[in-house]
Amino acid sequence: MHEFNWGLLIVVYLFLGGLSAGLFFAAGLANYLTVDDKPVYAKVARMGALLAPWPVAIGSGLLILDLGNWYRFYKLFLHFRWQSPMSIGSYLLTIFTLIAFVYLFAWLKEDERKWIFSKVPATWKQVHRLNVDISSWREKIAMVGFPFSIGVGIYTGVLLGAVSARPFWNTNLVAQMFLFSALSSGSAALLLAMLLDRKNPIEKHETKFLVTLDVVFISLELFIILPYIIHGQLSSQAVKDALTLILGGPYTVVFWVFFLFLGLLVPLAIEVYELFPSIFKGHEFHGSRRMALTAAGLVLFGGFLLRYIFVYAGQVSSFHRMGLLR
Amino acid sequence: MAIKKKRYALVIDSRKCINCKACVVACKAENKVPVGNFRNRINEERKGEYPKLSINFEPEQCHHCADPSCVRVCPTGASWQRKDGIVLVNYDECIGCRYCMVACPYDARYFNEEEGVVDKCTFCSHRVDKGDIPACVETCPSKVRVFGDLEDPTARIHELLSTRRYRVKEPQTGNGPQLYYLL
Ligand code: SF4
Ligand code: SF4
Repeated sequence: MHEFNWGLLIVVYLFLGGLSAGLFFAAGLANYLTVDDKPVYAKVARMGALLAPWPVAIGSGLLILDLGNWYRFYKLFLHFRWQSPMSIGSYLLTIFTLIAFVYLFAWLKEDERKWIFSKVPATWKQVHRLNVDISSWREKIAMVGFPFSIGVGIYTGVLLGAVSARPFWNTNLVAQMFLFSALSSGSAALLLAMLLDRKNPIEKHETKFLVTLDVVFISLELFIILPYIIHGQLSSQAVKDALTLILGGPYTVVFWVFFLFLGLLVPLAIEVYELFPSIFKGHEFHGSRRMALTAAGLVLFGGFLLRYIFVYAGQVSSFHRMGLLR
Repeated sequence: MAIKKKRYALVIDSRKCINCKACVVACKAENKVPVGNFRNRINEERKGEYPKLSINFEPEQCHHCADPSCVRVCPTGASWQRKDGIVLVNYDECIGCRYCMVACPYDARYFNEEEGVVDKCTFCSHRVDKGDIPACVETCPSKVRVFGDLEDPTARIHELLSTRRYRVKEPQTGNGPQLYYLL
């Protein structure tokens, strides 16, 4: 008779928070890669900048609605409790969201900016003062935002990892696992968005950039997940017991088949297959649209499932009740 | 007179427990616990098969941990610990994020749906402050429960813990639980 204190809204929130972090990171990186002082991936950077703030903003909204007393959420900002990941995270998330919105603003085209301000009543003089071109600040904003985006990615893992009562979470690998999963979801979401944007068809070098980024992040994630399991098996009994949740227990199929295989290995294989000829055989990168769409979709699916498995399985894991599972 | 430090704790002689649940009922009445929620419970542990069979009843509630993980994770400070060790929830500060419930290794907390806040055993702090003992302790017909101040050398709890063998539940949580089960 176990009830879950945290449900699907928390899963969605952790996923969306990570997604924004990943989007910002990929967009910021794209902004920095230049040839002759001109960003080669300007379109990627712009798309990422336009998308980055929304998931985290929606996710935070959902989290607030999930509170027992949602209108008391402001109390989060009346206190700073350094031992509470949620307290630190609230500040981190707020600052990051603000930076992401400023970054979005810096990437607006002039007519878009004018259009937005044309909707603001003319009497709101203070607001109209903000109608300035800050596109020259892009690099600086990205620089400031990088640590915050990584912080948010890590935070979504630390929120769970810091809970000593739940052996499934309480290892020092969960934070990195969530970070790399967030970064990979971000680049996959960016790839998906660019593929779906028919007005500005994605170019081959852009697909290649995002696919490469994703391969790096998925590989890193994989090399965290394997040690997580191996290390857990070599750990204390409580951790070993917790791992039975995905090694024979109720979350085994969703972990191995849906998350690890479909959400991680299959997209990795597709992306490596796509990249291989262009990297090792000197062929041109052909970049099949369908392959890229499938891979990006699967990565997002996997990223969501990782949060799902951790939020739910983690709450079942415990120091004393695990016996009931057998 | 020097102000003495206090540290409240509960000793439980679970072998005497007959699972009458008088403590559960007394707590519900005393603290107006909502229907469906409980602040204390009796864990049942069966072993063996008839005729070689034993059954053990073990009362449990918030352990009022020395180093409570619920307090550590609370983002607003709503979960807090008094100087005398009692761990409480300040209902006006609680935003209902339920992080503390997830972080409690003993599943001692419940969510009060109506108020949107988290709640749990208070060691009947309202009674203790008047010099009384918690309702569950007062009501227990087989004297399973002994409540007292660990810092008071004249307290019965002090004597029990000095002379009897006892255990605490899952000390590996690192929380320093303060329910002492006599062996
Ligand atoms: S038993 Fe749980 S709720 Fe009670 S003090 Fe310990 S951690 Fe907090
Ligand atoms: S539910 Fe209330 S008491 Fe528990 S951690 Fe959140 S704010 Fe603190």
